[in-house]
Amino acid sequence: MFDRWMDNSMSKSPWIFHINAGSCNGCDIELVSVLTPRYDAERLGFRLTGTPRQADIVVVSGPITLQTRDRLVRTLAQVPEPYVVVSLGSCPRSGNVFKGSYSIDGPLEKWTHVDVSVGGCTPKPEAIVAALAKAAELLAEKRKEMRR
Amino acid sequence: MTTFLNNFPILAIMTLFLGAFLTSLVGRRFAPARNVLVVLSVTLPLAMMLALVKPVLIDGEVITYWMGNWAPEAGWAIGISLEVDALSLFFALIVTVAVFVSALYSFTYMNHDDSLVNYYTLFLMLSGSVLGLVLSGDLFNIFVMIEIMTFTSVALTAFRNQQEGALEGAFKYLAVGSLGSTCVLLGVAMIYSQLHTLNLAQIAALLPEQAENPVLLAAFAFLLVGFGSKAFLFPFHPLAADAHAVAPASISLMISGVLTKCGVYGIIRLCYVLYQNIDLPFVQYLVTGLGTVSMFVCVTMAFNQHNFKRLLAFHSISQVGYVLAAVGLGTALGLTSGLYHAMNHTIFKGLLFLTAGAVQHQTGSLDLDELGGLGKKMPQTCLLFLIGAASISGLPPFNGFASKWMIYQAAFEKGAETGNFFFVAVCLVALITSVLTLASFIKVAQSVFFGQYNEKFGQVREVPLAMRLPMWILAALCVAAGLLPELVQRYLLTPAVNAVFGVANYIDQAMGAGYAAAHGIVETALPELAEIGCWDPVSWLVLLFCFTCAIAIVALLATPNDLSRVPVSSAREDGEALDAKYEPFFSGEESVYSQVGGSDLFWGFKHNWRRYFRLMHDWHSGVVNDYTLWAVVAMATVLAACIILL
Amino acid sequence: MDAIGTLLWNLFYLLVFPGLLFSVAVGLLLAGLDRKLVARMQRRVGPPLLQPWYDFLKCCGKETIIPRHAKRAIYLAAPVVGFVALLTVSLFLPVMGFTAFSTVADLVVILYLLTLTSAAMIVGAAASGSPFAGVGLSREMVSILSYELPLVLIILAVGRVAGESVGGVTFSLAVIGEYQAANGPLITHWSLIPAALAMLFVIPCEIGMHPFDVAEAETEICEGTLAEYSGPPLALFRLTHAVKMYTMTALFCALFLGGLTTGLPVLDAVILVALCAVLTFVTMSLPHAVCARFKVEQVFKFYWTVVAGLAALSLILVWLGL
Repeated sequence: MFDRWMDNSMSKSPWIFHINAGSCNGCDIELVSVLTPRYDAERLGFRLTGTPRQADIVVVSGPITLQTRDRLVRTLAQVPEPYVVVSLGSCPRSGNVFKGSYSIDGPLEKWTHVDVSVGGCTPKPEAIVAALAKAAELLAEKRKEMRR
Repeated sequence: MTTFLNNFPILAIMTLFLGAFLTSLVGRRFAPARNVLVVLSVTLPLAMMLALVKPVLIDGEVITYWMGNWAPEAGWAIGISLEVDALSLFFALIVTVAVFVSALYSFTYMNHDDSLVNYYTLFLMLSGSVLGLVLSGDLFNIFVMIEIMTFTSVALTAFRNQQEGALEGAFKYLAVGSLGSTCVLLGVAMIYSQLHTLNLAQIAALLPEQAENPVLLAAFAFLLVGFGSKAFLFPFHPLAADAHAVAPASISLMISGVLTKCGVYGIIRLCYVLYQNIDLPFVQYLVTGLGTVSMFVCVTMAFNQHNFKRLLAFHSISQVGYVLAAVGLGTALGLTSGLYHAMNHTIFKGLLFLTAGAVQHQTGSLDLDELGGLGKKMPQTCLLFLIGAASISGLPPFNGFASKWMIYQAAFEKGAETGNFFFVAVCLVALITSVLTLASFIKVAQSVFFGQYNEKFGQVREVPLAMRLPMWILAALCVAAGLLPELVQRYLLTPAVNAVFGVANYIDQAMGAGYAAAHGIVETALPELAEIGCWDPVSWLVLLFCFTCAIAIVALLATPNDLSRVPVSSAREDGEALDAKYEPFFSGEESVYSQVGGSDLFWGFKHNWRRYFRLMHDWHSGVVNDYTLWAVVAMATVLAACIILL
Repeated sequence: MDAIGTLLWNLFYLLVFPGLLFSVAVGLLLAGLDRKLVARMQRRVGPPLLQPWYDFLKCCGKETIIPRHAKRAIYLAAPVVGFVALLTVSLFLPVMGFTAFSTVADLVVILYLLTLTSAAMIVGAAASGSPFAGVGLSREMVSILSYELPLVLIILAVGRVAGESVGGVTFSLAVIGEYQAANGPLITHWSLIPAALAMLFVIPCEIGMHPFDVAEAETEICEGTLAEYSGPPLALFRLTHAVKMYTMTALFCALFLGGLTTGLPVLDAVILVALCAVLTFVTMSLPHAVCARFKVEQVFKFYWTVVAGLAALSLILVWLGL
């Protein structure tokens, strides 16, 4: 019973840790706007946390620059299982306008599994909320898989 | 049977002194013989004191021993006596237990040093003098013992004289300490000039008749300051810090656990038995005030220390301040709580000094900014330190909690009864001091045992069993004295308190029946300790039960991992490949050595108090002239106040 | 037979009514209420009322990572010790007219157990070996220093007023309750009103709620004391945090709003929960929605001047017999 409860609440209380991997700050602002009264992601249980140890959803924005690459990999390693990675905006998917730059070592797939990705430069807050909700569902599934 | 027991006090003292001389005679050649001698000469006194528990503490006898059988003649005590009442025995037990533990610890702890014969000789002389002090029935002998005590402890402070600051600390202690001893001598001389006797019991009988005599009042002031200096009370506190920081840990245990207790013992004898003036408000203000100031000033001083043992030294005085504040209340509850705390202080502060010694023994450093992360290397020492820290901070269920609580209650009840706000303020300061104590021990825990360790100390190992054993003894005493306050009170504290308040009996036992009554000292009714307000052990059993339940539940949840099906993972200890997963989160950066040093903690607190700390910094100049001046000023103030106001 | 009955009753107290089940339920409820209220004040929908419960369960289901520099045993034991100490507090707190356990001086017990709870958190943080936790624990300790002085002053003032009937002073919640039953709640005693105000300020700082959550500042020092905690130990810390909301508000009720009893424990419990909810709104949600986080030295200064001043004023008034 306790197990079932834990599984169910997995999707109801996903805590977000945000990594900026060289983003232009556009996506970051939009992510924060998701938590404002207008979009109020907290009604779905989302909460920003300050440390990867407490994160369930890791949101990565920016086109993985050489400077941030090692930090990104290290931080992702420190997140406890189960967790979901969301790529935010076009940059982590394709490199966007920075593609081909000498200082870019993307895309994000090269370094970790990406569970949900939101396109756009920048994505709309509605899209971000939808992606986070999707990620929360995936989280519960991952948890169930882990038990098996 | 009783007649044979009568010889035990003198035998115990003689064993220690004889041990000292034999050690220096024999031990120079044969180290094993020396060790056997030391063990014998610390164990025998302990056994003798334990043998005295039954007649003195339980049956309430007072053992009087006249040296050379020079019993009083025609109402005048001409011989030297040892007089052991429950108070003396209470302190003697503290002393012998501390000496025993300290000696046990020394064997391994001192193995990096040479000329150990000198160490043990001085150590045994120090122990003998302290035991002689608390068992003595003669004022001049108390002075003699204080002198031996001061000089041996000065020599022991400077024992590691290759260390920086050792000679300096010893010199300060010598200079200001002998000032204190001189005060005692002066007080003794004044009393002798007026009363023509040195026997404590006879002085106690004769003094109240001449309570207005200014010479005797001056003697009171001198003795109070003298004993206060031996307890390192407020204006004398820098000495203790300098001495403790450089002395070997086993000697720090003796200085803080035993020497300061002698000062407290002296003040109790002085105010309660000799002058019997503890009922006067002025004396209460004086003693309690001194205690309160000491406890607060020293705890704030401890806040700023970077040296493990210096910090402990300031806390040691702070705790003695508690004891004195409680003793100065003059109520039965106050005295009980004071004695209880005195005992507890010896136990937990001894434990803390020994853990500091263990850290120093293994790492060679006491610097709080340099150490760190030793908890993984020395797990038992870490646990022992936490027990000691919880005790001194007064966290339940350890002994510090029980006695501190009694002190608060005693102070506040006194305030409520007399309607005097002073005692409420004392209670308040005591509570705040307790929290500050907790804070500064958290600082030590964080900067010595937790956090990350310096690469320099990568090879550090746990201390050997011979050093852990004494620490475990003290830790067990911490828990026992905390969980069984009723037993402690019934068998140790109440007899001692009754002995203190039964002055007439003390006099009669020494000088012959009826002597006290002849001098107008009547047997007072023993104080009633009905509503002691001591904690209810039931509640603590409930707590313990809760703990066991919780731990059982956690264990059940954690062991069959399929119940929760979540892994608990930790880094492998071989540490070959550093897995990023187990590195501390460092905002994604590569993990580097980063330890929040002792001096950086509690910035938010220190910032608000910066003026106070700056002032304290300026006052504690470290110049021996300044400290001597403080001592002289304190002496003059107390003297003037006593003569004018008493 | 009697002994078994007593034991069963004690177990009931411990595990169900004022103990584990009740205090955890009320604590989580209050925590959820707080989040909902803050959301409503910011014109948001806010999380469901059971959000803290989901958070707790979710944390239970996550992996526990023990960092390399952590001291394993203490790292894992600290949350348990803190939580159990806090549960013990709830056993001593009266639910209006009903008290499970009572001793001569339970206020001092409560004071120390609350300190023990915070100390456990600090030791746990220290044992995790993270520099962020190092900063966090120092801030936590400073906030303990901040609220301890006013709290002690408040307890002394209340103890003095209620102790008049028993001669002197009392640290017993039972005596305080009886006094209030006879003379009306202590908040109606005008000289204690500053103390009650001070207590309202002490509550959020003791719990570590938003304007005073210097120790867990997630934006500055990465959750501070909890920087390295994950999985069930983290869940336990969050639960402790929630139960503390119940404990502190109930302590306020016991000190200032006691003595009102309907005679029915169940009804009493409902009234207590309602009072706690009101207090949660006043002391936690409102400042949370209105204020930005204080700096650590501001917290200390505020508590040792304004709040301690209010409490001291009360104590002096009470001492003068007003």
